[in-house]
Amino acid sequence: MNKKIVLILLILISVISVIFVYNDDFIYKKEILKITSIKTINEDESSNLLGIKEKVYEKEITGIITNGKNKGIIKNIKYEETYSSVITEKYKVGDKVFIDNNNIETLKRDTYIVLLIMLFIIAIYIVGKYRGLLSVISVMINSIIFYIGLILYFKGINIIFICVIESIIFSCISLLIAGGINKKVLSAIISVVTSILIILLLLIIVSKITNYKGINFNEIAYLTVPIEDILIPELLIGTLGAIMDIGITMSSSISELIDKDNKITKKSLYKSSKEIGKDIMSTMSNVLFFTYICAGLPMLVLAIRNGVTITNFIASNYSIEITRFLVGSIGIVLTIPISTFISIKILKRGNV
Amino acid sequence: MNIVLLIILLLLMLYIDIKRGIKLFISIIINFIILIILFYLIAIGINPIICSILGCLIVSYIILFFVNGENLKTISSFKSIIIVLIILSISIFMITKLSRTAGFEYDLDEDISIFSTSVNIDFIDISVALVLFSLIGATIDTSVAISSALYEVYENNKNLKEKELFKSGMNIGHDILCTTTNTLLFVFLGDFLTLFIWYYKGHYSILEIMNAKTFSGEVIKILFSALGCIIIIPITSYITTKSIIKLKNKRIKIKD
Repeated sequence: MNKKIVLILLILISVISVIFVYNDDFIYKKEILKITSIKTINEDESSNLLGIKEKVYEKEITGIITNGKNKGIIKNIKYEETYSSVITEKYKVGDKVFIDNNNIETLKRDTYIVLLIMLFIIAIYIVGKYRGLLSVISVMINSIIFYIGLILYFKGINIIFICVIESIIFSCISLLIAGGINKKVLSAIISVVTSILIILLLLIIVSKITNYKGINFNEIAYLTVPIEDILIPELLIGTLGAIMDIGITMSSSISELIDKDNKITKKSLYKSSKEIGKDIMSTMSNVLFFTYICAGLPMLVLAIRNGVTITNFIASNYSIEITRFLVGSIGIVLTIPISTFISIKILKRGNV
Repeated sequence: MNIVLLIILLLLMLYIDIKRGIKLFISIIINFIILIILFYLIAIGINPIICSILGCLIVSYIILFFVNGENLKTISSFKSIIIVLIILSISIFMITKLSRTAGFEYDLDEDISIFSTSVNIDFIDISVALVLFSLIGATIDTSVAISSALYEVYENNKNLKEKELFKSGMNIGHDILCTTTNTLLFVFLGDFLTLFIWYYKGHYSILEIMNAKTFSGEVIKILFSALGCIIIIPITSYITTKSIIKLKNKRIKIKD
């Protein structure tokens, strides 16, 4: 199909789905209110222990219910709005909100999320063409498998077991979609699975020895499920993408080297792969570093504005983000020698 | 536990390469210190968006010029990152403002109940800063990969025309794009694991999860990280091609 036709089709689908999602009130069981006017009832100032003051408003919205059996009824609801909006939300006329009797629950956000997803798909198609779309499809399939795994967990199957199986399925799907069926991909898959198992083993040993000492579980304590259950799978899945990336890069580079010089010795193969490994090590760590470490920013701001010192905060609250980054980086660095070894074993054997 | 993991990481890095390992380890620690200083500046009341844009520039400056050295490739990457930051910061601000994903979900983050929420900083700005900071690593990575590969292509075949060079830059981009989106996806799936278990226990339906604050915030974060990697590809290809052609013309003139 022509590239332009596909693009126009994609834009058309996007416009239709955004319009549909904007008007999809009828598929929700909860009542949705469309705000027609907002008036401020009361204006006040609150302050915390450090004396930081901010404006607090008591407001009332008027709106029409757009779905369910009360459709068309006009309703007034009072709510509180704060300048910082740490836990409150700021509404404006035209917004749709979910309501539960006489409380506003939350904003209807699906339109914006779908809009952004569609923009993303169009952008990835323009830059990455069909391969871009393929990677979107593999992301979708992986997300569905992820969700199925969670449901199985709630049915009582051991989560670490599910996680290992899922990791294997994830890597097969992503790598096969990205590279097709060939020896390169096969050796990448074997490297990824081996690395995952070794990292799992390492994590279990480290956590048994240290007994999770120094890790603050505030963030996941609310789950009311055993922490060991969640932490290790979470770390494992978080590092999986990077491991796959390294696995496929190493195996393609090695197969490239063999293609260029069929008589290349194993020794010089190891030497060249080591050079390649050095280069990927630093860039991959950067990717993980920023995505993980920044996640703590809102909490840090809140804590410091409440008089917690920065050193105390890092010591007590930042630990889990750092753990995620460390495990991810260990995954990367560990996969380099493993995938080198396996790729050379598999790819060199066929050529001799 | 983190200390044990840190030691394991350091040993593994040294095993791969002693010189690079030490350099990488130091650069991670420097990045961490810079980030914490920036976070602190945001917390004491300096505008989060300005702070994060400047911070991203400082971080890219360090990664590009100190780690990789100052040359045509890194200068082109730096220029492209500035353009991407400008485009993205505006769009992130708009989407965050519209979808109001700033702040916390009260039921989900119980430990915020010990703090007063009267902090007088607009958390929408904090969310924008958060998204900008999280996407910068992947964006720098993609940009460097493209500009250095493109330069390599030029070195191997100096007769390539402007259009052909740009095209090969885009081709290199395709390969990087798929693997980077994959890496990012799994980083976020790891985070979603805890989030989903919580939603499941709270009997949220899929439709309700779609509209929840934390979930939407995470989706915005992942999509913008990926968008950063996507739009940097044509921009870096274009700027690097332009600078290579400029350099080529200069050399020809000198020869004449």
